[in-house]
Amino acid sequence: MSVIDLSKIPVPEQNLRSYLDTVCETYELDFAAYAGIDPIQQTIHGFVNYPEDWQAHYVKQGFQHKDPALLMASRSIAPVDWQRLRKESMFEKILLAGQEFGIPEQGLTIPVRGPYGDVGLFSVTRNCTDHDWKLLKASILGDLQHAAVHLHDHVMKTNILTRRLTHPSLSIREIEILQWVAAGKSQQDVADILSISNRTVEVHLRSCRMKLGALTTAQAVGRAIGLSMIHPV
Amino acid sequence: MIIVIDGLNRQRYTRLLDEMFELRARVFGQRLGWDVVIRDGREIDQYDALDPAYVIGVNDENRVVSCVRALQTTGPHMLSDVFSSILDGQPPLRSATLWESTRFCVDTEVLDRGNSRNSVSYATCELMAASLKYAQQSGITDIVTVIDPVMNRVLKRSDCAPYGYVGKTTPMGKVSAMAALLDCSDERIERIRRFAGIEGDLFVDQLRELALSDDGKVETEVAQANNSTTLQPTEKQNMQAMLQEYCRDQVADAATMEELDAAKRLTRNLLDAGLISASRA
Repeated sequence: MSVIDLSKIPVPEQNLRSYLDTVCETYELDFAAYAGIDPIQQTIHGFVNYPEDWQAHYVKQGFQHKDPALLMASRSIAPVDWQRLRKESMFEKILLAGQEFGIPEQGLTIPVRGPYGDVGLFSVTRNCTDHDWKLLKASILGDLQHAAVHLHDHVMKTNILTRRLTHPSLSIREIEILQWVAAGKSQQDVADILSISNRTVEVHLRSCRMKLGALTTAQAVGRAIGLSMIHPV
Repeated sequence: MIIVIDGLNRQRYTRLLDEMFELRARVFGQRLGWDVVIRDGREIDQYDALDPAYVIGVNDENRVVSCVRALQTTGPHMLSDVFSSILDGQPPLRSATLWESTRFCVDTEVLDRGNSRNSVSYATCELMAASLKYAQQSGITDIVTVIDPVMNRVLKRSDCAPYGYVGKTTPMGKVSAMAALLDCSDERIERIRRFAGIEGDLFVDQLRELALSDDGKVETEVAQANNSTTLQPTEKQNMQAMLQEYCRDQVADAATMEELDAAKRLTRNLLDAGLISASRA
């Protein structure tokens, strides 16, 4: 498989590298990296905001083929804290090499599994103590999970075949809820109208956003109208 | 106590996993009569090949008494395929912070009725609280869980009523199945703990993790011998001596660098836990 650096592809609306910078800024992180494996295209997509010299060193050493943060995290469903990988001698070696380039040792990798056997691995690092890391992690992990899946879905859709296969498919209940939101109803209103709990509405809205690749509910409503899934009111 | 086994550590827990697959065969194949494939007394399906996470409850004798399996809803999972009848053929929920839990069961043959630590009720609550906690620590906010109506009643009785359902209750074998929604909030976990009187840690510590692993048989016997009665001061010292000797042997017998590292790490962990003393280790 070949490595494609999406950040070097001149597609303006897909400036994924700047997305990584935004994630780092928002969540007080030092660096972020994404690697995605697309089994349909047989390619590995990768982009990072690590220093250039570390990127060069990493690829030159062929670390991407043996980095436990990539190989092992893909077998987990939960984010893998790098502290768990420290017993791997190969990880120790890469971590040590990274230190010379100013790469922090605290980090974690979030594995994303897509519907077609596609796998994405989103890693973030931060230079801080074990205690601070634990606190930071607890407060941002949910948001990072969303960022990871958003990023992964976005990258997979750059492939035309995958894009065709992943036409968003919403359930009747999801469409119903989105239609009420488009009609100006609040989350609690929708819950009352449909006689379901507020949180059930919330879970469905979260699913709508994810399926439509939207970051906000307003964006999801816009996209659903664009796709003729709901009516403009 | 609860242990989490995933794709990263599963090769060290083949005994526990086998016991879990046997428990699933008894529960889902025999008791519930679901259409599952059982080979060599074990119920294993295609989702077990996807490196799911298993949250497993073990009793004081290190036997599996409860288990549940978790998968991400962003990728292949049961509601998107095998259980699609529950959703009436509708596409399932898909969210980065929603996990699917399936094959939730407890061993009603080993556990008794009452509400002691050895009861069905305690084991159910402990497993439920631990699986919600594990999800929460992974940044997950909600779980969609496939259960039967009996388990649904147990949840309601245990102050852990689902906040909603998706799809409909669907016939499946001798009993039906349904998909319930649970939030992974501190409030819910606290309510379950309070109901069952669960205090202290839900998850096993590093020493117990080792004892439960495939090469932990030696410690299992040591631990069992010591656990049978309350530890007297001399027994405590004996255990300390045995553990120290074990650590020394592990370091001395290490055949590879990895083994040596592992042995040193174990010693360090035991030292940190105050289970052995530095002077003799």
